Amino acid sequence: MWIIYILNGLYFAALLFFISLGLNIILGVMGILNLAHGSLYAFGAFIAAWIIIALGTHVPPFFLYISLLSGLVGVGIVGFLMEKSLIRFMYKRTLEYQLLLTFGALMLLEDVIKMIWGGQAYYASAPFVLLGKVNIGGNVYPAYFLFVMFIAFIAGLLIWLFMSKTKLGIMLRAISLDREMATALGLNITGLSTLAFVLGAGLAGLAGALVVPTTPALLGFGHEPLILAFIVVVVGGLGSLKGALVGSLLVGFTRSIGIAVFPEIELPLLFLIAGIILVAKPEGLFGR
Amino acid sequence: MSKEITRRKLLKYMGATALSAGALGISTKSFSQSKKAIPTTPIKVAAVSFLTGAAAAPFGIPGDNTFKMCADKINADGGILGRKIELHSKDEAGGVDAQVKLARKLLLEDKMDVILGYISSADCLAVLPLADELGGLIIAYDCGTHELMEGAKSPYDVPKFKLGFRSKAHLGIDNVALALYIKKYYPNIKKIAGINQDYAWGRDSWLIFETAMKKLMPQIEVVKTLWPPLGNTDFTAHISALMGSEPDIVHSSLWGGDAVTFSKQALGMGFFKKIRMAYSRGEPYPQELGKDYPEGQIVCCAGTHYFLFTPKDKASADLQKWFVAEYHKRYGKYPTYPCYHAFQAIYAYKHAVEKAAKAVGGWPTPDEISKALSGLTFPTPSGLLTIREDHNGYEDCLVGITKMTAKYPFPILDKMEIFPAAQVNPPVGTKTVDWINSWK
Repeated sequence: MWIIYILNGLYFAALLFFISLGLNIILGVMGILNLAHGSLYAFGAFIAAWIIIALGTHVPPFFLYISLLSGLVGVGIVGFLMEKSLIRFMYKRTLEYQLLLTFGALMLLEDVIKMIWGGQAYYASAPFVLLGKVNIGGNVYPAYFLFVMFIAFIAGLLIWLFMSKTKLGIMLRAISLDREMATALGLNITGLSTLAFVLGAGLAGLAGALVVPTTPALLGFGHEPLILAFIVVVVGGLGSLKGALVGSLLVGFTRSIGIAVFPEIELPLLFLIAGIILVAKPEGLFGR
Repeated sequence: MSKEITRRKLLKYMGATALSAGALGISTKSFSQSKKAIPTTPIKVAAVSFLTGAAAAPFGIPGDNTFKMCADKINADGGILGRKIELHSKDEAGGVDAQVKLARKLLLEDKMDVILGYISSADCLAVLPLADELGGLIIAYDCGTHELMEGAKSPYDVPKFKLGFRSKAHLGIDNVALALYIKKYYPNIKKIAGINQDYAWGRDSWLIFETAMKKLMPQIEVVKTLWPPLGNTDFTAHISALMGSEPDIVHSSLWGGDAVTFSKQALGMGFFKKIRMAYSRGEPYPQELGKDYPEGQIVCCAGTHYFLFTPKDKASADLQKWFVAEYHKRYGKYPTYPCYHAFQAIYAYKHAVEKAAKAVGGWPTPDEISKALSGLTFPTPSGLLTIREDHNGYEDCLVGITKMTAKYPFPILDKMEIFPAAQVNPPVGTKTVDWINSWK
């Protein structure tokens, strides 16, 4: 049974890693605390659910898994529009303005979702069901959860390679380290900021798309993950890939074991951990 | 002197005039009350359900669909005393404050004749007191909390609200019926657990179930109680925790997306091979999930609200036949329990108005309709329904076990057991928990 608890922790950590990764990139590179991140995640879930339902059984199953990328692309586009129309005016403003604006964007996006998809639930479980189950040490476990963990691993690896090995990634890191110096060195801040926001938003959308085969897409879908992603960012440290990974694992395992052992205080415990880290190490475990 | 007399006379005349005017006023009023003409304008009925949000798909939209279907039927049959129903569907989303504002607007500005509504218990608790405050009739149609009509301690005075009603029984019946069913069919189980959402609905449902189980089967041990948040999207940790504690039966009042998500993820983790679920409001989900819904699960119908149930009395049985066929024709699905609840609310109003009109000889006031509603019994698709003097519905409760058949593309209920109203509802004036604790 313990192997399943560990897998549950890993699966939840994989999801959180996805969501907090985007949040972290946007925060690290652009210094924007994006409260609308949860809504971008929900947007990804709705886009993917809608496409999966539309494809139905008309296509080979392989395409259903490819269609999950629609969350990445669709929400990337939404992120692009959002950055160009709203976020870019906030770079020089103080945090309060950013919070107000991104909170407004959160409500706006919820309403857009309501306008496009209405109030009903979208069930798109075909990718979850089709992968079936695997037997792990006498316990049954859905293969789809392993698939999500695998994708999270690949995505983490790619983002790490991108950030540390490519010129573009190094430029993004330069902006996150010292925006003024980066400007002085002649980096195209406007373009790079847009890129970072699109990437962060797209990752949130992909996370939503990956979740939707396991749970129906509903209004208010992004609220709980947003709160947990904030805990991850607080625990792991702002703008740190390693922090996002360790934070996700810590939250994922605390929740998985907490529910099994002391279910009454599982959620307060998470906040307590975040609180202790904030007091003892305000920059987070791996923050600068 | 003469001046003084004149003044005195004047005062006298004024007094007399005032008195006679008052008397005239009273007599006019009583005259109009006893013989009021029936207006020719339509009846304005507000129907408030969740049209957006998590509760829209499982409850709000089916409920709203049914209000529309029933209003059409009533209008096609000539309306209520010849007056047509003009239905105004409103969204219950936005939280308690928004609903209080909306209810005030509906009664005061829009001059609705009645509000039929509310799925959320929080909304019911906040809105029903407005009925007496604003002098308008409000009939709660789907909310479950047992606290709504109960007083602080037993015995309490009834009714709590003069013009506030609930045309269904509260969540007590679901959980008491589940406990009675488990005692009858699984008398040898030893361990139970619970997974309920972490807010009033989940906590109340578990409270009633646990109290009833401990009374009916004192040997039972509660091995785990889990409280996932509303709208939880990952139940894997809960499913493993339940499997790890090895209960025989797990009680749950999960609803909507949470019920579906839990069931799907649990299926993927082999949960149902080892553990049986007992759902206090599970009736809609076999149809929702189709053949993926596991067999052998205990499901309560929140009353006798089941499309395959045939009521004993002929009038109700005929209604059920029409109701199931018409709903399926219109919306492509079989009606679920919120649909039955919506029927009960709109027809409770219709029957009460007709009964009151007979007594007063014209279109009745909200007070007169309220008097007629209290103690009213009328046929519904789920059988005869009585609105008790505590202004709460009094219903039987149906529990069964899911089983796949060749006839439907989803499991239906087998081993159906109907627990009569007297067995699952507390007596008038007694709190549910006190009543269960008084069981011998």
